[in-house]
Amino acid sequence: MKPDQSLRSPNALSAALQRFGNGFVELPLWNRRPVRTLALVLALFMFALVVTVPLEFWQQVGFVTTCIVLAMWLNRVEGHLATLMMVVLSVAVSSRYMYWRLTETISLGNWVDAAFGIGLVLAELYAFVVLLLGYFQTAWPLKRRPVPMPADSATWPTVDIFIPTYNEPLSVVKPTVFAAMSMDWPRDKINVYVLDDGRREEFRAFCEKVGATHVTRNHNRHAKAGNINEALKNTHGEYVAIFDCDHIPTRSFLQICMGWFIKDRKLAMLQTPHYFFSPDPFEKNLRTFQEVPNEGELFYGLVQDGNDLWDATFFCGSCAIIRRAPLLEVGGIAVETVTEDAHTALKLHRKGYGTAYLAIPQAAGLATESLSGHVGQRIRWARGMAQICRVDNPLLGPGLSLPQRLCYLNAMLHFFYGLPRLVFLTAPLAYLLFGAHVIQASALTIAIFALPHMLHANMTNSRIQGKFRHSFWNEVYESVLAWYIMRPVLVAFVNPAAGKFNVTPKGGVIEEAYFDWVISRPYLVLLLFNLLGVVVGLLRLFVWHQEATTVVLNLAWTFYNLIILGASIAAASETRQIREAHRVAMKLPATLHFGDGRAVVCETIDFAEGGIGIRLPHGVEAQVGEPVQISLYLQHDEHMFPARVVFQGESHTGLVLAEMSPREEMAFIQCTFARADAWIDSWGRKRPDAPGMAAGQILRIGLLGFHNVMFHLSREMRRLLRRPEPGASAN
Amino acid sequence: MKIIAVVSAKGGVGKTTLSANLAEALTMAGEHVLAVDLDPQNALRLHFGMPPHEVSGHARATLAGEAWQQSMYRGRSRVVLMPFGALNEADRSAFEAHLVTHPGWLRTQLGTLGLGRDDVVVIDTPPGPSPYMRQALSCAQLCVMVSLPDAASYATMPLMEDLIRTYCEGRPDYLGHVLVINQVDVSRQLGKDVVQVLRAQLGERVLGVIHQDQSVAEALAYDRSVLEYNPHSQATHDLQRCAAWLRRVMAAHGEAA
Repeated sequence: MKPDQSLRSPNALSAALQRFGNGFVELPLWNRRPVRTLALVLALFMFALVVTVPLEFWQQVGFVTTCIVLAMWLNRVEGHLATLMMVVLSVAVSSRYMYWRLTETISLGNWVDAAFGIGLVLAELYAFVVLLLGYFQTAWPLKRRPVPMPADSATWPTVDIFIPTYNEPLSVVKPTVFAAMSMDWPRDKINVYVLDDGRREEFRAFCEKVGATHVTRNHNRHAKAGNINEALKNTHGEYVAIFDCDHIPTRSFLQICMGWFIKDRKLAMLQTPHYFFSPDPFEKNLRTFQEVPNEGELFYGLVQDGNDLWDATFFCGSCAIIRRAPLLEVGGIAVETVTEDAHTALKLHRKGYGTAYLAIPQAAGLATESLSGHVGQRIRWARGMAQICRVDNPLLGPGLSLPQRLCYLNAMLHFFYGLPRLVFLTAPLAYLLFGAHVIQASALTIAIFALPHMLHANMTNSRIQGKFRHSFWNEVYESVLAWYIMRPVLVAFVNPAAGKFNVTPKGGVIEEAYFDWVISRPYLVLLLFNLLGVVVGLLRLFVWHQEATTVVLNLAWTFYNLIILGASIAAASETRQIREAHRVAMKLPATLHFGDGRAVVCETIDFAEGGIGIRLPHGVEAQVGEPVQISLYLQHDEHMFPARVVFQGESHTGLVLAEMSPREEMAFIQCTFARADAWIDSWGRKRPDAPGMAAGQILRIGLLGFHNVMFHLSREMRRLLRRPEPGASAN
Repeated sequence: MKIIAVVSAKGGVGKTTLSANLAEALTMAGEHVLAVDLDPQNALRLHFGMPPHEVSGHARATLAGEAWQQSMYRGRSRVVLMPFGALNEADRSAFEAHLVTHPGWLRTQLGTLGLGRDDVVVIDTPPGPSPYMRQALSCAQLCVMVSLPDAASYATMPLMEDLIRTYCEGRPDYLGHVLVINQVDVSRQLGKDVVQVLRAQLGERVLGVIHQDQSVAEALAYDRSVLEYNPHSQATHDLQRCAAWLRRVMAAHGEAA
C-alpha cells in the first residue's frame, strides 16, 4: 500500500495517530520538569492567542471553517487521541466565543439591554464552565475490569449486606433479600441485614423464616443514613454492601466487586451502576425504553467511569461496597446533607482513601414510576449537592487533589442548571417581546461566533457520550426538571438547613392515562410566552419590517425552544400503567410440563411479580386455565414451579405462578433476577448516537407534546362543560 | 468404528429405550449408526418397528454358524439394527457358554461387518454382570451408564463402576464413561436431590438428564421415535444434547487418533 493511500483512510490514520501520540508522550525529554513547564507556558500562550486575537468577519469565518472541517475529519478517525484533539478544538472555539461575548457584546447603556444581556451571559458562562469540567471529567474513562478473588476462600473477608427499608411493601423487598442470601460467598462470611425503619412485624416474621436478620431502632433520625449508621454499631463484618430495598443484586456481585479491595488496601468504596429494568417516566411517557439512553445512563456509563480515572468516584447509596474501618473513621454515613452518599464519598476522599467504579451491572431495580416521583428524587439530589456546596465545599478544605475537587465541583454545578436552562428557554423573547438587544453585535457576527461554539460542543459530546446520551436529549431532560430544581437548589444554597427529605415512591399504579397539569404548568406558561414571541416576531418581520436577520435568528432560537418545550410537555403525559408488577424482558431456556406428562422445551419472554410470559414451539399450545409446571435452570440445577395458564396468544403464553414456599421463592429469584449475567447484555448496548436521527426524534416528540396538550385540553373542556361545579378538574 | 455401550447395574432404568433413542438422535445428527441388542429380552427391535414374529438375530446366527450380515434389519428408521433374536432356554445357555469361552466374540463379529472408521455402534446390554455385559465392555470405547434419580440406582453405581474399571480402563482405545440420569422429575424433591448428589459426585461425568416425559412412551406406542413423534418435547431436546456431546467426544478422539 502506498503511504498516501493509507493516510486517506481514516482508520489507518487512527493507528498512525496513535503511534505518533504514544511516541510523542514517551519522549524522554518530558521527564525534565523545565521542559514540561516551558511547553505548558508556550501552549497557554498560543491558546491565549487563539482565544483573544481580534479577527475581521471573513477572517473569523475562515478560522471557524478550518476548525469545523478539521473536527469533522477527526470525528471519522477512531481512537482516543482524535477525541482529545476534538476536545481541544471545541475548547478553543468555545473559549474564543466566551471571550468575545464578555469583552465585546455587553452593553450597560440601556437598563433593559443590560439586565437581559447580563442574565444571558451569566447563563452562558455557567454552561461554558460545565462544558469544560465535563470534558475534564470524561477525558479518559478508566474502564476498570474486575480483579479475581484469591483461590483460597478461607482468606476472603466477612461482608455484611445492608438492605435499608422504610415504607416499601414486603413484596418489593423480598426478592432483594433472597438474592442477597444467594450470593456466591462463603456462608460463614456473609450476613444479610434488613434495616427496617418501618419496624414492621410482617418483615420480622419474614426475616426469621428465611434466615436474614431484622434490625430496627426506636427512632428514625437521619432517615436512611441514620438507619445504616445505627446498624453499623451492632454488626462486625469487615465490609458493608448496601442495596436499596428494591435493587436486586446478582449472585456474582461480591465475587466481581471484592477483588479490588484485596488488591488495593487504600480502597474504601466501590460503586457499581444502578441498572433499571423498568422504564423511567421519560422512557415510559415518550416510549423510548431501551432505545434512547435514559437520564441516568450518562452518569453510570460515562461520568462515574471518568471520575474513576481521577479517583473521584462517588458513592451512590446503593449497589456499592464500603470498607467498614474507613467508614467508621469518617463517622459513618454522612448525615449533614440529604445526599448522604456523595457526601460520604467526599469525606472518605478527604481522609486520603480511594474509591472505585466498576461499570458492570450487578444489581437491578425498579425505576421511579411517575414523573412527579422522578422530579422529587432529582430535587433531593439537587438540594443535597447544593447543601454539600455550602457545608463542606470540595473546593476548600483539606485532603483532596485538584482533579477530585474539579470532579466534585462539576457534580455540584451540574444541579445548578435550572436557572440557566430557563434563561435559554426565554432569552430570544427578550428581543421578540421587549426589543432588548441582549447581545451587542450584528446577527451575522453572533451567528459566526455562536454556531461554531455549539456545533463543536455537540459534535464532541456526541462522540464522547454517544453510547450513553443522545444529542439534544440533555436539553429535554434538563428542561423538564429546570423549574423544579431551580428553587430548592437556590434555597438550599442560601440556607442548607431548610426544606424536608422525601422518599421516592415506587411500584405504584397509574390508574388512568392522564396529563399532569400540575407538573407541566411552568412549561405551559413558557410555551404560551414562546408562542406569543413567534407571533410578535412574525409581526416584526412582515408587518413592521424590522431588522430581518436579528428577527430570524431569534425566531429560529424560539422554534428550537418550542420543540424542547413540546418534548418536555410530552414527558408529562403519564401513560397508563397496566400492571402493578412491571414486566421485565428476560430470555431464558425453560421447560413447560403439562398435566398429561408431556414436557416441552420453551423459552421465557418476560417476568413479572407472580407471572411469566413464555414462547412455546410452533404448533404447541396450552389451554387457558390448565395447571402446568414450568422448569427454570440455574446452570445444571433445574427448578420447577407450579403455575396456571392464563393466556394463549399467537406466539406468547402467559402463566401465573402458584403460591410459593420461601424455598421456592429463593430458587425463583436465583434462576431469574439474581443470575450473574442477567443484566450484562443490556448494558451500554443501545444504538449509538446519530445527531440527525436524534434531532428528528426530538422534533417528533415535541410535536407529540403539542398534540397532547390540545387533546387533554379539549377533554378537560368537555369535562368542565358536563360538570360545571367548581374544583372538578383533572387528577 | 466407534463403539458405545449403554449399561447399568440395575434393571428397569430405561436402558433399551435410551439406546434406541440415542441411536436415532445420532443418526439424525448425521452419523451412520448400527444398534446392537445384546439383551436376551430381544426388545430393542420393538423400537425400530421390527415385526414381533420375526425371530432372526445375531444369537441364532452365531449358534448356527452364520454370518452376522444376514440378521441385520433395516426398517423405517435409518438406524441399522442387529437384533438379539429369539432363543429357547437351552440355546441361550449354549450361547452364553460360547460367549464365556470366546471373550473376543463381539469385537471379532463387529470387525467382520466392514464398518467405516466413523460409523457408530450403539450396544444395548442387559442389567448387571453377565457374559453379555463383559462382551460389550471389553470392546466399548465409551460407556454410557444409565440411572434413575432414585436411591437404588445410586446404591448400585459402585458395582457398575467396578465392572467398567475391570473391563475397560487401561485399554488404549477406551475414552471413558459418562452417566445419563433418566426419567428425571424435578417436581419430586427426592429426584432433585439425587440429581444434585450425583452431579456433586461425578461432576463433568454427568452427561445429562433425560426428563420424565410422556412423549417417550407415546412415541413407542405410535411406532415412532420420540424425536420424530414430538420434536419439541423436553426428552427429545435432552437426547439431542446427549448425542451432540457424544459426537463431540468421538470427533475429538478421531482427530487425535
